[in-house]
Amino acid sequence: MATGTDQVVGLGLLAVSLIIFTYYTVWVILLPFIDSEHIIHKYFLPRAYAVAIPLAVGLLLLLFVGLFITYVMLKNRRVTKKAQ
Amino acid sequence: MTMTKLAQWLWALALLGSAWAALTVGALGLELPSPCREVLWPLPAYLLVAAGCYALGTVGYRVATFHDCEDAALELQNHIQEARADLRRRGLRF
Repeated sequence: MATGTDQVVGLGLLAVSLIIFTYYTVWVILLPFIDSEHIIHKYFLPRAYAVAIPLAVGLLLLLFVGLFITYVMLKNRRVTKKAQ
Repeated sequence: MTMTKLAQWLWALALLGSAWAALTVGALGLELPSPCREVLWPLPAYLLVAAGCYALGTVGYRVATFHDCEDAALELQNHIQEARADLRRRGLRF
C-alpha cells in the first residue's frame, strides 16, 4: 500500500470527487422530482447555476492551461535567443 | 470498420447531441412531463461533471492504493549511486 502523504492525498481526492458527485447528482437529477415545498431545496442554488458554475470553472481551467503554455513558450524563446 | 476512433467518437457525440437538442427544444412534439424536462436540459453539463468526478476519484484511489515497495526503491537508488561512482572512476563525466 502507498505510504503517508500519498495515501492522504489519494483518499482526499477520492473524498472530494465523491462529495462533488453526490451534491451535483442530487441537484441535477433528484431535485426536480422532489416537491417544491420540501425543505431540502433550501440547500441548493437556483438551477441555472448547475450549468453556469461548471462552465465558469471549465473556462478558468482553459485560461490556466493557456497561460501555462504561453509562459513555457516565452521561456523557451528567451533561452534560444540567449543561445544565439 | 474503416472509420477511425476519432470519427466514431465524433459520430456518437453528434448522434447523442442532436437527440438531446431535439428533445430539449421540443422539435419532436413530445409532451414530456415537467420534471423530466428539468432533468434533460442540464444533462450534457451533468455528464461532463460526472466524468470529471470519476476521473478524479479513480486517480485518487489508485494513488492511495499504489503498491509501493520502499525496500526495492532504496536498493535501486543504491545501485544507481554505485553505478555512477563506478562510471565516474572510469572517466565518464556527468
